[in-house]
Amino acid sequence: MAGPGPGKALPVRRRRRRSQWRGLLYIAPAMALVIVFFVMPVLFTGWMSLHNWPLLGSPRWIGFNNYFRMANDARFVSALRFTTYYTVIVTIAIFAVAFPLAIFVEKHRRFVGAYRTIIFLPVVVGLASASLLWVWLANVDSGFIGPALKALGLVEKSPNLLATFDSAFFTIIVMVVWKIAGFTMIILLTGLQAIPPELTEAARIDGADRWQRFRYLTLPLMRRTIALALIISVTGSILAFDQFYIMTSGGPQNRMISVVYYIFNQSFVSFNLGYGAALSIALLAILVIISVMQLRLLRIGEDRP
Amino acid sequence: MTLSKMNASMSLSRRRRARKAFRAESTYHATGVAIALFFLAPFAITLLASFRHGTEARLPPLPPWPASGISLDSYRSLDTFGAGVWQHTFNSLLVSLATVALTVAVSVLAGYGFSRYRFPLKNVLFVLIIATLMIPFQSILTPLFIILARLGLNNSLFGLTLVYVTLQLPFSVFMMRNAFDAVPKEIEEAARIDGARDLKLLFRVLMPLVLPGIATVAIFAFLNAWNEFLAALVLLSSNEKYTLPVLMMAVRAGRLGAVNWGAVQAGVAVMTLPCLVVFLLLQRYYMRGLMAGAVK
Amino acid sequence: MIKRLLAATSIITLCLASGASAAEKIEMWVRSGIGESFKKVVEAYNASHENQVAMTEVPFSELVQKYATAIAGGQAPDALSLDLIYTPAFAAAGQLEDLTDWANALPYFNSLSPSHVKLGTYQDRVYGLPVSVETSIFAWNKDLYKKAGLDPEKAPTSWEEIEANAEKIRALGDDIYGFYFSGGGCGGCMIFTFTPLVWGSGADILSADGKTATLDTPEMRKAVDIYRSMVKKDLVPASAASDNGVNFLTFTNGKIGQQSIGAFAIGTLVTENPDINFGVTLIPGVNGGTSSFAGGDNFVITKGTKKIEAVKEFLEYTYSMDGQKVMAKYGSLPTRGDIADKVLEGLDPRMQVGIKAIEVAKTPYTLQFNDLINSANGPWASFTNAAIYGDDVDGAFSNAQSEMQSIIDTGQ
Repeated sequence: MAGPGPGKALPVRRRRRRSQWRGLLYIAPAMALVIVFFVMPVLFTGWMSLHNWPLLGSPRWIGFNNYFRMANDARFVSALRFTTYYTVIVTIAIFAVAFPLAIFVEKHRRFVGAYRTIIFLPVVVGLASASLLWVWLANVDSGFIGPALKALGLVEKSPNLLATFDSAFFTIIVMVVWKIAGFTMIILLTGLQAIPPELTEAARIDGADRWQRFRYLTLPLMRRTIALALIISVTGSILAFDQFYIMTSGGPQNRMISVVYYIFNQSFVSFNLGYGAALSIALLAILVIISVMQLRLLRIGEDRP
Repeated sequence: MTLSKMNASMSLSRRRRARKAFRAESTYHATGVAIALFFLAPFAITLLASFRHGTEARLPPLPPWPASGISLDSYRSLDTFGAGVWQHTFNSLLVSLATVALTVAVSVLAGYGFSRYRFPLKNVLFVLIIATLMIPFQSILTPLFIILARLGLNNSLFGLTLVYVTLQLPFSVFMMRNAFDAVPKEIEEAARIDGARDLKLLFRVLMPLVLPGIATVAIFAFLNAWNEFLAALVLLSSNEKYTLPVLMMAVRAGRLGAVNWGAVQAGVAVMTLPCLVVFLLLQRYYMRGLMAGAVK
Repeated sequence: MIKRLLAATSIITLCLASGASAAEKIEMWVRSGIGESFKKVVEAYNASHENQVAMTEVPFSELVQKYATAIAGGQAPDALSLDLIYTPAFAAAGQLEDLTDWANALPYFNSLSPSHVKLGTYQDRVYGLPVSVETSIFAWNKDLYKKAGLDPEKAPTSWEEIEANAEKIRALGDDIYGFYFSGGGCGGCMIFTFTPLVWGSGADILSADGKTATLDTPEMRKAVDIYRSMVKKDLVPASAASDNGVNFLTFTNGKIGQQSIGAFAIGTLVTENPDINFGVTLIPGVNGGTSSFAGGDNFVITKGTKKIEAVKEFLEYTYSMDGQKVMAKYGSLPTRGDIADKVLEGLDPRMQVGIKAIEVAKTPYTLQFNDLINSANGPWASFTNAAIYGDDVDGAFSNAQSEMQSIIDTGQ
């Protein structure tokens, strides 16, 4: 504090106390928003999950029955299974594309900035816009992919990419990779750039070939970055909804219902608000578990510099 | 291949390696162009196709450019959906800009508070704000819907804005606290001696110093609010209030049993262009924010 | 000057309007997308009556949710034009006014569309009465028939005939197809156009009390086989496999030989696609007989509204000859069977087929119509796609059968 004289001891203390609640005042708007629009809804979700809560009529307390129902709900189980499947595949696909891209744009060459920007462009558009864009590209009659394949003579008849599970799933994976790879690439790039060039040079002089350098130098040093990129990709994929809702409305024969999609259907289509809340709590629990695992992963990364 | 590049590569490597370097360089850029094509093509095809004649909208975009002259038919038919594309663009802009303004205001105050003041439960409250990142808002939509209804803010763009601001807070408060932390205490002290206090100090002296941080917060707030789909779908229920992504669901659902793909292309163009422009103009701040997030 | 005069007149009108404040103002919601007919009948009513109806169009996908929230908030409209399939669920929730005594007193009660009245009845009390009727019918493109060497005036009467015709039409060219349906998991489309195949021959997908799923019948197997065979022979465009209803009226592009559509579409075709020369007939059953799905809206009154007499007056107007004629003119079929012929005088003769369909039409009665049938992610929607396009027909039947039954059971 700016040079208080001996006689000013009291005002200083008062000012400090005042500054205490002033600090609270500064954060008050943020806290109010978080409490009203986040903490309360979370608590409310927990409360609702213990009720049979129809949209019409009054809620009825049913204890943990919603949770028992969940355990026997085949559709929830298949939503979980599909979400896991999607998360694993899409994460692998994103890394398989983003890692080479990161290495590609790490080089100090001409136009590398332009390449980075272009690869990153799809990241900034919304997932909803991207889904719409690709649902058109993949359309059998009016789209681009099928008719272009036909025009090139690769197929006899324009295929309906969204009609069968495998081709629709593949299309969605390509779309998501197109949309997200730039993001993962940039994160991996920060990790790559943090590796001291002397180390790589030293390894080269020691006669390590490119693969060995990558395997024994780059990968271990990038553990933390990779863990971070992995976590972002996994949490994002578990919450996937837009692409399935917009591109396939749940996919051929309901085989593309993700967990969030199932919660959306239960809550806002079937209006089983109580059951939807219980499902949300389950999803929340899953994410908290993953977050704990994420912290572990990051800590492992810290242990080895 | 320019001469200067040749010189550069020659000065770096030995003369006999020049040919090899040239080949490597060509391969590099050939790959680069191919990659760039993959990432750019969907945008380019859509944008070009959206200027085709209405009669062509049903046909595949082969060739992808408007072969029989440029026309605004697709945009006109987009305009016939909902309350007209201007209304919905206006809604989206209103929500996005209001989200930016409120997010910046709230997070600057909170960032300053967390950076410069000591108060009880400070760390707990900070963690509470950051912890909201771990909880997917998708899972609390129902109660959010009910709480907004109790507040009289259901089906209101303002209610939606408040939700968006809340979603932005963890990242924004984190960013702003770091930004204020980076400002040397001495500057503040000097200003204090000059008689600047509290809000005046914050706005006159510190604000310019944390401006890059504010830019980052603002860009993220804009893009996320502009692009958000699920909350808008659930929380808005009257036609004239829909934001662009919700309007696009009506376009995608078609009319009289047929989808107008021209309107879909036009809609995608209207939805993506602002994001791309904002990003390209303010790329530096965007990347900074991303790195800050990544390093965290 | 003219502007000022207009302003003065409008003030006078306002005064007059408020002078006659004895008149009631009825708040009413209508789902969007049912066409102009209801809007027009409201206009006609307002022009000729003291009571006024204020109509709000609500997107059909939002209607249920909005109405429920409005009831909770005490801001519900006095009356609602509700998709008839939802009437049982709303009546069961105790939110609707009991209209039984009044309805029974209507002289033409027995000639109102039977499906609508049945769906409007819950535990022997009447809660909903028909507003608009939509039936499914079979349409064929006469020009394509002619080109394929078929008799354009002869309506097909069996699915064997339809399939044979489809093959001849398909032979006309690369992008000309014999048949179309929205096969990409559109429950609403398929219950509308596909179940008549089994209904016509006496089978059903739910038991009469709606408590047992009866999907796996020889009739349904046969219906599935017919569609499968047409798909296999490439008589149906590839896009049908993923059409979740957005391209339901592909028939309007003029390249589809035959398709089951709604009677509403007759109006659309006549006004929007006048160049398509088409005929309509009843949808044949797989073993003979004919059937149709009766859709449309029921009129329901919010429980506790103070304007019930005014609402009844309006409803009686829509049932009058004038009201019925206005609605028919804008594409809705008459709800009263006793005067249907008179109402349709001078209108497109193909509308008569839509009326005939009412007599044979059915509508499943269930409180869970949305979860079972309509939802894009319900068992019926996925069954239609899996059975017609999938490799495992038996699996599709058994999955859907058990899933439907489990939804019915949890709802009890």
